[in-house]
Amino acid sequence: MPQDASAQLLDPVAIARAEALGILAREIVEGFMVGENKSPFHGFSIEFSQHREYAPGDDTRHLDWKVLGRTDRYYLKQYEQETNYVAHLLLDGSESMNYGSGKLTKFQYAKVMAACLAYVILLQRDAVSLNIFDTVARTIIPRTGNRDMIFEITAQLAAFQPTGGTGISPMLHTLAHQTRRRGLVIVISDLFDDEAKILDGIRHLRFKGHEVIVFQVLDPHELEFPFQGMVEFSGLEQLPKVLTRPAEIRKSYLGELENFLNFIRSGCEKNHCHYTLVNTAHSLHEVLSGYLAFRRRTATR
Amino acid sequence: MSFLNPLMLVGLGALSVPVIIHLLNRHHVRRVTWAAMRFLHASVARNQRRMNIEDWLLLALRCLLLALLALALARPTFQNTAAASWGRTTVTGLILLDNSYSMGMTDGMQSRFDRARKYAETIIDGLPATSKTAVWLVSDVARSLIPEPTRDLNLARKILRDATLSDRGTRLCPIIKAGIEMLQRHGGARREIYLLTDGQVGGWEELDETVKLLTANKRDIHLNLVIINDRENHNLGVSELRLANGLTPVDQSLRFEVQVTNFGHDDARNVAVRLAVDNEPASDQTVIDSVSAGNSKSVSLFIKLRTEGSHAVTAEIAGDRLAADDRRTLAVTATRRLRVLLVDGHAGRPPLETDTFYLRNAFAPVDPAAAGSFYLDPVTITPTELATTRLDDFSAVTLANVPDLSQATAAALLQYLRRGGGLIVFPGDLVNIQFYNAELAGRYAFLPATLGPLTEAPDDDHAFHLQAKDYDHPLVALWNDPAAGTLASARFTKAYQLQPVNTPDARVVVRFADGAPAVVERTVGQGRVILFASSANTAWNDLPVRPAFVPLLARSLGALLEQRNKASNIAVGDRFIYRATDDALGKDAIISHGEKLRQFRRVELVENQPVLLSEAIDLAGAYDVTIQTDPPLKLKFAVQVDPRESRLDPLSDSQLAQLGAVATIVHWQPDTPWLQSNPSTAGGWEIWRVLAYAALAVAVVETVLGQLFSEPK
Repeated sequence: MPQDASAQLLDPVAIARAEALGILAREIVEGFMVGENKSPFHGFSIEFSQHREYAPGDDTRHLDWKVLGRTDRYYLKQYEQETNYVAHLLLDGSESMNYGSGKLTKFQYAKVMAACLAYVILLQRDAVSLNIFDTVARTIIPRTGNRDMIFEITAQLAAFQPTGGTGISPMLHTLAHQTRRRGLVIVISDLFDDEAKILDGIRHLRFKGHEVIVFQVLDPHELEFPFQGMVEFSGLEQLPKVLTRPAEIRKSYLGELENFLNFIRSGCEKNHCHYTLVNTAHSLHEVLSGYLAFRRRTATR
Repeated sequence: MSFLNPLMLVGLGALSVPVIIHLLNRHHVRRVTWAAMRFLHASVARNQRRMNIEDWLLLALRCLLLALLALALARPTFQNTAAASWGRTTVTGLILLDNSYSMGMTDGMQSRFDRARKYAETIIDGLPATSKTAVWLVSDVARSLIPEPTRDLNLARKILRDATLSDRGTRLCPIIKAGIEMLQRHGGARREIYLLTDGQVGGWEELDETVKLLTANKRDIHLNLVIINDRENHNLGVSELRLANGLTPVDQSLRFEVQVTNFGHDDARNVAVRLAVDNEPASDQTVIDSVSAGNSKSVSLFIKLRTEGSHAVTAEIAGDRLAADDRRTLAVTATRRLRVLLVDGHAGRPPLETDTFYLRNAFAPVDPAAAGSFYLDPVTITPTELATTRLDDFSAVTLANVPDLSQATAAALLQYLRRGGGLIVFPGDLVNIQFYNAELAGRYAFLPATLGPLTEAPDDDHAFHLQAKDYDHPLVALWNDPAAGTLASARFTKAYQLQPVNTPDARVVVRFADGAPAVVERTVGQGRVILFASSANTAWNDLPVRPAFVPLLARSLGALLEQRNKASNIAVGDRFIYRATDDALGKDAIISHGEKLRQFRRVELVENQPVLLSEAIDLAGAYDVTIQTDPPLKLKFAVQVDPRESRLDPLSDSQLAQLGAVATIVHWQPDTPWLQSNPSTAGGWEIWRVLAYAALAVAVVETVLGQLFSEPK
């Protein structure tokens, strides 16, 4: 069963492209394993960084014997350690994610996206944690670097059914409080919540040193509002029905949406986090590869 | 306010259509489960009020559009004069221009018809813009020059200018009825009939019925009667012209009776009457000393026809202001010898024992030496020879005691009669009564009576006689004058009881003293049959040896030939019918009346007989017919006017008052325009056009607003 879920959720094309590009932390993250990410803590790892004078109590294994032989001075070698990072995948499992005009709902799209990201992250020996939430955390998989856990992750993703309302901001704050080590926080959601509170949560994560990536997943109909004639809209998340002629209010709707997206986008930029608007009409591998390519271009390393 | 098409008001029910469409559309709402409700709520909250206003506005416009359309189709009209301030209402008119021959009455400069044409043009000039009118020429029939109202008023003017007078009489009431029916098929707030006539009382025979009809349609259709009458009191006319004895031999002096009638109110004196043949100078003339007002006088004039064939004999008086009735033409067919076929049941016996001995001598009452040059040529044959005899070579056929006929012979006899032949039938002891009754009276239907039981006098002392006086039939009217002798002297010992067939054509010529028919006649097609109740010889009666027998036979023969002439003398408005022989079938024919008329026709098969049929003829006078046989067959026929039209008495004051209650009567006066003569032309005001324009405007506004409102906002 887990394997079936994996096969269903792991988009081969998306994963192939993502593997080639890798998930590289734009900033140096604090790792707990030797990985491909630069640690801000200069430890004793593989890649030399600088020398410092020996002080009593230092481990003599790190003495630079060549310098001692040439100069009779005690210097210790310091290394910049390639660390592993923890990627926290926050996946919105609210009912609003259950909308889809085509074959896929936003949640199905987001699930595949999350699975692909988790797989790629695990593949490059980083750790990943998954939190599917609505107003509260519904499914949590603690951080793990075990590649085999991908099956558990995909199984949980596949089994989840969105039902509740949306509460993104509490999730972000909770994560900021609970996580002591800096890492990567990937939020996958339609962000149909109070946008100011969402930005507060992001700001909190940034304050804690996390890198935040926001994938806002929207359906093409939500972006274009192409309805004609008389339409009765039944709101997900128990919102009241609306009977209207959408063609006559399209401009107004798109204006509202544009304001909302601009607010989110500018808030993310102010907080130095990546914001990507994902249209579910586009193929996932294009979205992921596009983002990862962008990320690689902007990586410090 | 009233409606011309009130049924269209049902269309107001269409006001519910937009609401119904709205309700139906509620069932066609697409339902979508939607996530981004917060933006939708915000947009709807911002736009809902505006959309509601737009919806109500569009609904109101659509309902208004449908209401305006329904009202426009219902064609509301306002009848009050205040509505006239909006402008004069267009008229749907019918101009009835009287072209009967009394309209030809002239004052020396212009005829009544000329004035009527000009006045009709001024009526058209006075019609409001976009009016339409039909134009009919009316007399005793209506001739539709423009059958239905047209907006092309220039065409109507041209038609009126080109209209011509006819020689027909007047009978206006059925035409007014037809005009009303025509206008009822057309809409219009003002539907007017303009009748221009001389107001002859004779043209309004059904006045009461017409007044009722106009009263019933008073609300919808109005009659404007324009009377063009200059109160002429003088009119003389030739009211009758006929051949005295019906026989028209060549080079014999023929007597024609000419009747002149004074239709005026003053006595006429010294009336010269002339009689001429074929446009030649007058052959005979006379002067009538005096014809008192309202009375007629007949004179006899004599002419000789010099050649065989058709001739037109015209009687004429000095011209007066109404020329159409000043001459009258009669077409006659002259023959050098009139051949009469005698079919004898006892042919071959000694002369006195035959059935035709007395007939032969009565038809040719001259010395046997001179019989060869006498104009009547009796030819005797046996019944069996009849089958091979060409009947068209004879002017009349007499069957004397003929037992029966073959079917082919009976059929040939019927065709001969239809073509104008004459037949005299005398019964006798050989006659097969069953054949006569079943075939000749029944199947072929040309015998005027059936033969009943034989009435026999027991002896000579109890012989029966013909009636002695009160002869009604023209054929025996001569003996009303005792000076002419008597028919009652003849003694009859045997006679069949004749029972006239039940047809209006059959008439009893003379009766026996007890009232039983003795001679019966009927017309068959263009021919005539005379049936005697007793024999042609002295076996059953002694009539053949009485002095009256010769004139009786001569008048009978004249009556037979007169019937043939009747077909050549038709009334104005009738069609000339000539039953031709088989060799003329399919041949072209030209019918001409001088330069005035020329018709090209063809001899066609009608009821298995070749017939030349003209169109209805409107002009009186002599007509030439040429059928393109080899050699060409030349005929003449005459068309005669109805003398009643010559009576110019106008409608009485009481009749005018009766008409005035339902019609506007305008007495024509020189140089008075129509609108001044008839200021009451402002009628109802029809607003359908205004409503239609309003509906169009609403439709445009609705379309523009609908487009505007449906744009994304």
